[in-house]
Amino acid sequence: MSSTWLLYMAFAAGLVFIGLYCLLSMRNLVKLFIGIEVISKGVSLALVATGFAKKNILVAQALAVTFIVIEVSVVATALAIIINTYRHTGSLDVRRLTKLKG
Amino acid sequence: MIIEIALLCGLVLFSAAAIVFRDLLKAAICLAVASLLLGIIFFRMKAPYIGAFEISVVAGLITVLFITTIALTKTGGDVRESKAASWIFPLFFIVFLVLDFFVMRGLMGKIPALEATPEQGTFGEVLWKMRTFDLVGQIGIIFAGVLAVLALFRKRDKDE
Repeated sequence: MSSTWLLYMAFAAGLVFIGLYCLLSMRNLVKLFIGIEVISKGVSLALVATGFAKKNILVAQALAVTFIVIEVSVVATALAIIINTYRHTGSLDVRRLTKLKG
Repeated sequence: MIIEIALLCGLVLFSAAAIVFRDLLKAAICLAVASLLLGIIFFRMKAPYIGAFEISVVAGLITVLFITTIALTKTGGDVRESKAASWIFPLFFIVFLVLDFFVMRGLMGKIPALEATPEQGTFGEVLWKMRTFDLVGQIGIIFAGVLAVLALFRKRDKDE
């Protein structure tokens, strides 16, 4: 069972790597958020796979449901912030946000 | 096991495609397909509740939210990404995969087998009896999200 768990962990690590690369290299705000979504997929895969390997799938499911609810709430808030930022600056470029206005 | 590995490879490939595609709409659809594959993986792990949740909420609702945002910010989507980032990505990713493979292979004999204690009851009992405070937290988070969205789209008063 341990080797199955490590297999799932390897793929979950791959997903987290893809998301982190996106966060470090992209400039589009929507793209950055897609990166956060990919990381959250890796985390939920790791949670459920650990529960599967430990034969504790019910608790893992309960935790993953909580995680998904938090994810939806964060997505709704962040996309609202992105739309407001776009209305304010006229662009989705994250570099525009570095300029402060007094 | 082969089906699981194929599904996991598809999940990673579609997630990578969501990052690589310049068109935001294609990226959002790739993300939805990746969520769908993750949901199928959950179903195969005998976790049907979270599988249904993943497919309906993450592949459905979040994709709709993404597409709405992309439609509302259509003209701003032409942000110039650095070319080096998209060139370097496959190289970095392959290096990471090789390292990941060797690290996991090295860990294979060293991590003791996880303690397996089969649990009793149903998902509903676990959620309501063992994780009751999680539900309170979930209600709080949902309210916080709704209030945040309302605050962000608040209209200005006339005298402001």
